[in-house]
Amino acid sequence: MKIIYIKHILSFVLIASLSQFISSENEPFKSTYFPMPYSKVLFQNANIFDGDGNKFLDTDLIIQDGKIVAIGKDLPKSNDIKVIDATNKWITPGIIDIHSHMGVYPAPSVRTSSDGNESTSPVTADVWAEHSIWVQDPQFALALKGGVTTFHVLPGSANLIGGRGVTAKNVQRNTINSMKFPDAPHSLKMACGENPKRVYGNRSQAPSTRMGNAAGYRKSWIKATSYLSRLEEYESKSEEAKEMGYKPQRDLELETLAGVLRGDILVHNHCYRADEMAVMIDIANEFGYEITAFHHAVEAYKIADLLADNNICAALWADWWGFKHEAYDMVQANVAIVDQARNGKGCAIVHSDSEIGIQHLNQEASKALAAGIRAGYDISEARAMKWITSNPAKAAGIYDVTGSLKVGKNADIVLWSGNPFSVYTLAEQVFIDGALAYDRDSGYEPASDFDLGILNPNKNRIEE
Amino acid sequence: MLNFRFKKYFATFLFIFANSIGAEEVLITNANIYDGKSDDPFISNIYIKNGKIKNISNNLFDVENVIDASGMIVTPGFIATDTEIGIVEIGALSVTRDDRPSMYNIGFSVFDAFNPNSTLIPWNRANGITSAITLPKYSSSPIGGLGSFFDLDSNLNISGTKDMVMVGRVGGSSSGSRAETFALIEDLLDLAFSIDPRVVKSNAEIIKFMSEMPLVSHLDLQIRDIHALYKLANTDLPLIIESNRASDILKLIDLKNKYNLNLVIMGAQEATLVIEQLKDSDIPLIVNPINNIPNSFDELASNINASARLEDAGITLMFNAPRDHNYHLIRQGAGVAVANGMSYSGAIKALSSNVSKTFKLGSKGLIEEGASADLMIWNADPLEPSSMPIKVFINGIDTDLTTRSSRLRDRYTKNLDKPNIYR
Repeated sequence: MKIIYIKHILSFVLIASLSQFISSENEPFKSTYFPMPYSKVLFQNANIFDGDGNKFLDTDLIIQDGKIVAIGKDLPKSNDIKVIDATNKWITPGIIDIHSHMGVYPAPSVRTSSDGNESTSPVTADVWAEHSIWVQDPQFALALKGGVTTFHVLPGSANLIGGRGVTAKNVQRNTINSMKFPDAPHSLKMACGENPKRVYGNRSQAPSTRMGNAAGYRKSWIKATSYLSRLEEYESKSEEAKEMGYKPQRDLELETLAGVLRGDILVHNHCYRADEMAVMIDIANEFGYEITAFHHAVEAYKIADLLADNNICAALWADWWGFKHEAYDMVQANVAIVDQARNGKGCAIVHSDSEIGIQHLNQEASKALAAGIRAGYDISEARAMKWITSNPAKAAGIYDVTGSLKVGKNADIVLWSGNPFSVYTLAEQVFIDGALAYDRDSGYEPASDFDLGILNPNKNRIEE
Repeated sequence: MLNFRFKKYFATFLFIFANSIGAEEVLITNANIYDGKSDDPFISNIYIKNGKIKNISNNLFDVENVIDASGMIVTPGFIATDTEIGIVEIGALSVTRDDRPSMYNIGFSVFDAFNPNSTLIPWNRANGITSAITLPKYSSSPIGGLGSFFDLDSNLNISGTKDMVMVGRVGGSSSGSRAETFALIEDLLDLAFSIDPRVVKSNAEIIKFMSEMPLVSHLDLQIRDIHALYKLANTDLPLIIESNRASDILKLIDLKNKYNLNLVIMGAQEATLVIEQLKDSDIPLIVNPINNIPNSFDELASNINASARLEDAGITLMFNAPRDHNYHLIRQGAGVAVANGMSYSGAIKALSSNVSKTFKLGSKGLIEEGASADLMIWNADPLEPSSMPIKVFINGIDTDLTTRSSRLRDRYTKNLDKPNIYR
């Protein structure tokens, strides 16, 4: 018992992304990610969107040891450095998709690997998306060619509380642990509205209405609150008292929810309608947790100030609508309106939720930006770049190490053939932690095991 | 026997002519024109009168309404080939869906369900689509269901062409074998080509014909279905078959040749594997150029450069987008196709004249003298998804570009001093 206590203290000192009372040595599913081999590179005369809202023209950038080490004019060229002429090209941070189902809904889309929704109970906070991810999903490589270096995989939206999401580096490997973004917090997927009430209502079980949805979340948080107080009571005891008493039994579902209440796990809430988002904010306040982002949020523009006041991001499509009643009130300026709320204090994210959209998040941001300008907002391209880089990095809890081009941050970088807001621009090179992951010109690109010899035994799937 | 009354209605190709024609005269000057047929754009004036393009030249006409399009691109109105416009309002709400039959199969027509007040119409129009082909969901028969062509002018007096295409599908499915699907298609085509013209003249004859055909009772075919099959066999009706796998595409080429079908293949995700055979077959394709996902075992060859390679081989291409409200995204798809090697003018043709030619829509999709004045003036490059048309003419009418969406936007961004429900 004593040993566990000490380790427990340790886990507080470390970043505790898993439930507190698993000893850190035994902590399961730890990231074993390590960067691919990297080299020292000098990009010369690039145009740069840094992801934090700035634009630098004709500027050099140096990466070394997997990090960004210098950004500036006329940086010195050493003998051991590889020089890339980026004249008339653009550099951005690696694109981050905050809403992906790659791996849990892989391609081909077949029943045997559709593992994104544990739709057997409306609350499945015990399940983790990473345990469903098929690491040979050929979609990872396609997203990489669109400049995506990091993606956040969520369970689906069938359940009120769908389980834990995970953030991964877009470096396809044979185990998910070796793709997991080091020290990235878990997320908790929650879902409002039509999906849970349809899935369970059709089975004549709760929830079958939106009020049933709300009751369902609150019942779960009541249980979680009680569990956490038992846990904290136990944790606050002296070592002797601990040996005398009983440790609350582990409960996978409540461990996840308690992790949210402690602030270790970030809430990502699928929610379309403005009125439902407001209800969810009340529930979060009632139980003392924070909502990191509302996802899809087609009506976010109706409550953009409320979201800004509560520091909640809205992760949005540029233009999807109409597939459901709760997605009927789409405006293309949604992203811009959220972004501009309270004099630019809003947090807007352009997400994909799509294996095609994830390959073109730059185009999605471009549509959203144009719609914002048409709506009368003065938004720069440099600012719009935040919607697919730093803002999703913040929402994934990894902004301290990626999501913008700052000296010291990971060298997650895309070299584009031109301005990334144009449809004609392609990612030419993608670097993850300073390692070249994709090179359009030389055809250096990953192929999953699935891609190998599946049409022609002598070729990869899309090799000509 | 409800369908007796409708016999004549279905027996012939029914053309519905444009009901609303712009009476006004418009002169668009100095436009940079992609006319849907030329490889290069040219700068000219366009004079519109009585719904038609009357003159394309540097001539000036004495009209009140002159639009200076200097520095702007003008294209034909784009035509969406594969839509549910007018027959589905909200995807997940079956009460707003009119896209699938419960009783008819092959003869099911979506035409009478078309709702000119659907919010999808102003939305897609404001984003650059002036007309669309609306297709039914696939029926239980591997071929069957009739689609119609509509102008997206929001006029309650519908203008378009009724039942101008039949649809079908072949490929992997969770039940049955594609071998059976091909056999069934052949059986249906054999049946279609065996219908004597005298048979379709009277219902009594049709009933007699049906009683002699075992397939009829097996598939529960109705009189209406027999008319549709007759039409397929005798009127050069375009038949769109959705199919993706290379081997299936080859089999479809054989079917086209055997029956002399006016075949169009949609999806065609593995077309690049059979590019030579497709080239010789003259079969036009409807592809989604942005879809490079190996989404099934029929689509393993999906590749972002497919459109460019198919164009190179001289295959006629048209574009589609997911059947989910934003059919204007065929523009973004076209842009992606160009980014990956397709020619610009080829992409414009795929959005306009290729559709018109394939489906015999007359002068739709073309900017030429005498053509119906369906054209758009763009604020920037129409293949950039961030661009928008600033003028959309349909049959010469300068259409309204307000949408429910733009109203919602304005409500939440303008006149914020008033309570929102009074804005």
